[in-house]
Amino acid sequence: MSSSSSSSSPSCPKKMITLKSSDGETFEIEEIAALQSKTLESMIDENCASTPVPLPNITGKILAKVVEYCTKHAEVGADAESLRAWDAEFVSVDHPTLFDYILAANFLEIPTLLNLACQSVADMVKGKTPDEIHKIFNIKSTFTPEEEEELRRENQWAFD
Amino acid sequence: MAASKEEEEHLKGSGKRLKCSKAGRYRVVAEEDVAPFEGEEYGVEEDDGDDVGDEQLEEDTELPLKPGLFFYPLTPTSFVVSDALELDFPIIYVNTVFESFTGYRADEALGRNCRFLQYRDPRAQRRHPLVDPVVVSEIRRCLEQGLEFQGELLNFRKDGTPLVNRLKLAPIHDDDGIVTHVIGIQIFSEAKIDLNCISYPVFKETYENECEQTTVYTPTDGPLSFVQHQEMCGILQLSDEVLAHNILSRLTPRDVASIGSVCRRIRHLTKNEHLRKMVCQNAWGRDVTGALERMTEKLGWGRLARELTTLEAVCWRKLMVGGAVEPSRCNFSACAAGNRLVLFGGEGVNMQPMDDTFVLNLDAANPEWRRVSVESSPPGRWGHTLSCLNGSWLVVFGGCGRQGLLNDVYVLDLDAKHPTWKEVLGGTPPLPRSWHSSCTVEGSKLVVSGGCTDAGVLLSDTYLLDLTTDKPTWKEIPTSWAPPSRLGHSLSVYGRTKLLMFGGLAKSGHLRLRSGEAYTIDLDDEEPQWRQLECSALNSIGSQSAVVPPPRLDHVAVSMPCGRILIFGGSIAGLHSPSQVFLLDPSEEKPSWRILNAPGQPPKYAWGHSTCVVGGTRVLVLGGHTGEEWILNELHELCLASRQDMDAA
Repeated sequence: MSSSSSSSSPSCPKKMITLKSSDGETFEIEEIAALQSKTLESMIDENCASTPVPLPNITGKILAKVVEYCTKHAEVGADAESLRAWDAEFVSVDHPTLFDYILAANFLEIPTLLNLACQSVADMVKGKTPDEIHKIFNIKSTFTPEEEEELRRENQWAFD
Repeated sequence: MAASKEEEEHLKGSGKRLKCSKAGRYRVVAEEDVAPFEGEEYGVEEDDGDDVGDEQLEEDTELPLKPGLFFYPLTPTSFVVSDALELDFPIIYVNTVFESFTGYRADEALGRNCRFLQYRDPRAQRRHPLVDPVVVSEIRRCLEQGLEFQGELLNFRKDGTPLVNRLKLAPIHDDDGIVTHVIGIQIFSEAKIDLNCISYPVFKETYENECEQTTVYTPTDGPLSFVQHQEMCGILQLSDEVLAHNILSRLTPRDVASIGSVCRRIRHLTKNEHLRKMVCQNAWGRDVTGALERMTEKLGWGRLARELTTLEAVCWRKLMVGGAVEPSRCNFSACAAGNRLVLFGGEGVNMQPMDDTFVLNLDAANPEWRRVSVESSPPGRWGHTLSCLNGSWLVVFGGCGRQGLLNDVYVLDLDAKHPTWKEVLGGTPPLPRSWHSSCTVEGSKLVVSGGCTDAGVLLSDTYLLDLTTDKPTWKEIPTSWAPPSRLGHSLSVYGRTKLLMFGGLAKSGHLRLRSGEAYTIDLDDEEPQWRQLECSALNSIGSQSAVVPPPRLDHVAVSMPCGRILIFGGSIAGLHSPSQVFLLDPSEEKPSWRILNAPGQPPKYAWGHSTCVVGGTRVLVLGGHTGEEWILNELHELCLASRQDMDAA
């Protein structure tokens, strides 16, 4: 993990913490970037972050991206426009990855990433019929045909 | 440092503002006077453990709060005061009832934000997962906006016993209207919950027998671990909390109905009243949902959202009211402040400009017009505009007075003890004018446009006055193009910061013609620009068919909660029925006009109406010229949703 450029004095080494994914990979993240996660922040406060922090529910693949996100968002002087574009790129991923981001952001309590990823999902739903939503998210319906009929009648107003 | 006996006596009488100290004892810091909580002892405690005395609130306590805010139960109530001017609302006072219910001593609570009650025990770092995050974020929102909160929340005693906290929070303002403290009243009761239960309590019926994938959270001492069942539909991997709170709440009511038809679990989540309310809040804004709160008691948010989207329950009815607006007048201006209609000024006999203010309280059993006794009034006028700001404030602009056209601004707080009109000097005002139109954006920004100035010249400008700032200043909104100048048009707000201008008598070459054009502008843009709205006449199914409304002025335009605008009435050339109601959604990709057929008896009067929207779903039409006189005691109401006192069909 290359650390982002920082305006702190060069003689002062950047404080890093180590995160360990569920599949055993370790990742270093600057403390300042880690502070975006409320979970990590409280661990840092309680001095629990000096040894690698185990995250048994986040895989290395996802953790790498989460570290990338936090590092990018901890940069000083980034202009809002380019950050927005970077964010849009960041969530242009397949659905499983997007949901993994949400799960990770929820556990690590990173509100910006949670909002970003959830808004992406919400945008996918906007204006879609139930059939379309079934297809997009690959959800199997467990309704009986009678229930389907009742639902159709109940929610007909939404599709007029 | 404990306060000395002398200080204690002094405190009781004068109500000094207290700051907490980490040592857990009270210390007088500020000398400024705060309205005292008479009858309530400040909890100055002795170290020796003596009983401090009965701190129960007395029934006739004079608290600096609006009447009816709290009810005083006969059993002692837990009571907390937090400092709203310090970071994170630290507690500065708790009473002994609080101590005995929560098991936390005052010195353990002081200086902390009261969220520590959501932690299962004193060593926890975050709130227990069974605490409803929807309620927590509701509390946060209310605190941020200085609003009252009322609701129920899971709390924990110091020993970990779960409690249900029926909580009321109320902000306390100083003379300048700044929130200085927040009072919390808690009614604690036993919580019957299973702390080993895994799912989010609000959605307690998540199906165990579900063959769909679910995520199981096991609360442990360390980081939360979860067991994931077989891979299937990604979105269902998410917990109820995340799914409902972070994704479903961002959808419109229509999209929620759509996704709710997809599978059992999501359907179940969408039936939750908390979620439905959040959906409405996010879709329509807090102000609108606040106004709609009462309607939901009978209908529920889901039904209300549906009715406001489909307008299936729309109907006209007639409303007779008592009292009288006397002397009789025309060309007044009226608007709604909550459930009250307010009327100001107008043109009396002999073209006399009037300056009196009347209120009609629709909440009363027998509503009647009453004159508001004010200490001072703006100069009398007609052809002015009256708009509502932030709930109970009113603002008057312009109009034609005794000595000519005006461009002054006056505001009134209807809820003040002695309501009085105050002039607001806003720097360089717009040109004096009458028959302009105005609206309020985001609660407190007055926007004014067009109208007729001296020598009969028509205007096409747009001005904004932000009344939230310390020194409100008029600002012209510069646009590279503006709709042709006009008077008697309407200005409506939709989508929080967007305006729709419709109709009016507009300049057309050398002539002035009735206009049927619509224009929009988004004030949130960096450089807001007026654009003509190209409205088509598409065909659509159902009771709404497409026709373009005939050109008109002095009509009525109403913004509905879901972003659509209703237009009817006005002075229309030709034989068109003036009471035909037209609907437009300016935010559609291809906006098109639709006719709304509402059963019941519409108003017969063609023009000069005033309309006000009361409670978010009642459109009241008053005044209007019969050809002979102006009627004020007979109101017509267009109900947008099933009324509470009527049978919901």
